[in-house]
Amino acid sequence: MALSAVAPKQAAARPQSAQIAFSNVTLILGGKPIVEDLSLAVKPGEFLCVVGASGCGKTTALRLAAALYQPTSGLVQFDGQAMTAPRRDIAIVFQDYGKALLPWRTAAGNVSLALEATGIPAAQRAGRIDALLKKVGLPNHAGKYPAEMSGGMQQRLQIARCLAQDPKALLMDEPFGALDAMTRQGLQDEVLSLVAASSTTVIFVTHDLEEAIYLGDRVIGLLPNPGRIGIELPIDLPRPRDQLTTRENPEFLRLRRELFDFIKASEA
Amino acid sequence: MMADRVKALALPVSLLLIFEIWARSVHLHSDSLAPPSAIVVALWSALADGAILTATRDTLLSAFAGLFLGGSIGLALGILLGLLQPVDRLMEVTIEAIRPIPSIALLPIALIALGFGYRMEIAIVGFACVWPVLILTRAAVREVEPRLMEVSHALRLSPADRVRKIVVPAALPRIFVAFRLAAGIALIVAVTVEIAINPIGLGAAIMAAQQGLQADLMLAYLFWIGLIGFGLNAGLNLMQARLFGRAALVRDDA
Amino acid sequence: MTRSAVYWRIASFLVAAGFVGLWQLIANLKLISQVYLPGPDRAWAALVRGFTSGDLASKLLGTLEHMVYGWFLASVAGIALGAVIGSSRAARSYIAPSLEFLRPLPVSAIIPVAIAMFGLTQAMALFVISFGAIWPMLLATVHGFAAVEPRLYEVARSLQMSRLAVIFKIALPSAAPDILAGMRLSLTVALILSVVCEILAGLDGLGHSVLLSARAFRSADLFAGVILLGVIGYLTSLMMSYAESRLLGYRRGIR
Repeated sequence: MALSAVAPKQAAARPQSAQIAFSNVTLILGGKPIVEDLSLAVKPGEFLCVVGASGCGKTTALRLAAALYQPTSGLVQFDGQAMTAPRRDIAIVFQDYGKALLPWRTAAGNVSLALEATGIPAAQRAGRIDALLKKVGLPNHAGKYPAEMSGGMQQRLQIARCLAQDPKALLMDEPFGALDAMTRQGLQDEVLSLVAASSTTVIFVTHDLEEAIYLGDRVIGLLPNPGRIGIELPIDLPRPRDQLTTRENPEFLRLRRELFDFIKASEA
Repeated sequence: MMADRVKALALPVSLLLIFEIWARSVHLHSDSLAPPSAIVVALWSALADGAILTATRDTLLSAFAGLFLGGSIGLALGILLGLLQPVDRLMEVTIEAIRPIPSIALLPIALIALGFGYRMEIAIVGFACVWPVLILTRAAVREVEPRLMEVSHALRLSPADRVRKIVVPAALPRIFVAFRLAAGIALIVAVTVEIAINPIGLGAAIMAAQQGLQADLMLAYLFWIGLIGFGLNAGLNLMQARLFGRAALVRDDA
Repeated sequence: MTRSAVYWRIASFLVAAGFVGLWQLIANLKLISQVYLPGPDRAWAALVRGFTSGDLASKLLGTLEHMVYGWFLASVAGIALGAVIGSSRAARSYIAPSLEFLRPLPVSAIIPVAIAMFGLTQAMALFVISFGAIWPMLLATVHGFAAVEPRLYEVARSLQMSRLAVIFKIALPSAAPDILAGMRLSLTVALILSVVCEILAGLDGLGHSVLLSARAFRSADLFAGVILLGVIGYLTSLMMSYAESRLLGYRRGIR
């Protein structure tokens, strides 16, 4: 309806089955276009990775998908409905886990926050919390405060809180950017297995090209100033993926090369 | 910037206007309230006949003398306890026992020992000023860069020179903060002592205005005392920013 | 506490006892007239006498009552008002500058105005004490609410939390360290203003009682009262420390 008024160029090409859909989205902040004419469709259950040079608007795009920002023009839709406000079935994992957790609540308390917001009766919460903490590998840390946990544990905790929302879509903003390499690889595999067990749609923003290829069903690369899509690569690597064999796969190396050249060209 | 100023002034100006209009429309006669215009007139005449200036001088004289007295004691003790850890630990119980005594509770003791006047007020202000200066100075001295202390050892400076040339200059920004906070306390305590009992200064003057049922003069004094407090605070903040840069401003909490 | 910390503590108590001994010595040798300085023995005797046969207990209760009522009223009003101002940017830009102007005002200057309005009554004392005690809490709460991590508000939005839930689950706990610091300062202010109001209005309490003792040159009773006021100051500050360590225990790992 309102959609036709903005004359969508690519909206017609958008498959009807898209769960998250951007139609000609432009966002202007402080007079400067951050994202321009972005159209994008993410299918249910798809794992989409977004890469790009810094300042290309990849985090902004994620925040638009969460409706933490409203587009200046264009439309963001979720399951066919316009996103005018954040919704509980879209969970967002922030990069700065240290700021996104409540320091005065224990691990269990932080997970409980999401259950309280969802309106789960108090009697059922304890069981759900135990299960969720177990799922993310924190079964013995329920009573710890975030300040007593390592960075990796805090990020696991944030993921547990997001899973407590029982989300249809998980938006992850460079979630492992601040973690060391070993912790990061472990968490990558855990996210893959968590997602494989459900049918959650994921948009995963990262600056790590290998991480994007390793995780995604599809990778898009954004060009900076203003942010727009520059490259789109379907990833046909076999699943389940493996830190050694997948990364040694010739197709993986080819994709990495292609993405690397794209980023280098976009920064020039 | 301009818009911020306007917003900041909007509330007080509109309140004063509403009050002025209300007071005029009901022909207010009250022992406790007066229209802003009457307050301005009262302030002007009190300034003109010098009463308010004499009172201000008395209050500030007592406050600053007390600040100087208590601040010096606090500074000396703070440096001593900051430098000598064992002495600090030995004095802990004594200090924690005396510090919580509310300064104003000493008023009757000061009264029988020193009588009415400047001396008892200075003594009470002094007692109140010792503590913030002592505690902040002690913390500042303790946290003097250890490298500087090593340098002073290597140079074989005498203890007196070490304090004079290394410790005090290094801790100076935070010592200034201590004195700035103590100056605010000094003014508050001085006015409080005058209101409670001592027949000098601004506190006594505002009490006299109240007892004379001169609401306009009383509120003029209230406004003036507020202005002095604000001016002292703003002046010291400005001085601190000038002397030590903005970085020192954020370290008030300790 | 480690063993050496215990030894230091004991030594520190001994030093304090030494000072009391010195005070006794000065009093015994009459270096300072007994009229001004009673020995600790006489002060202690006056304290015991005041509690067993005198009315010191009721005076103590009177002061505590003034202080606690005023402080409680100020806490409720200060935190509520601070929450409203602190959680709205618009309210902050209109009201905060006026608060900053009033902050350095010596609050005792409001006493004459309160006397003009209420007379020398309990209501006057309650007004003055709560007016004085509200500032530290109000300013601390405004600051605490304004300083809540914006990311947490985003978490609350994506969880679609209600406005009430955001205040009670996010903003208040986040501002708690500031609010508690403000409450501690307010307690000190409340005690001082209680004493001043008792002196001025002759209300039942330690402030009035020490003044009467001073006027009659009963220095032992005077010191007993002052010591008791010190004890109130000490115990209330201890209580606040306990509350802080209980409520802010989660910060252990941070510091």
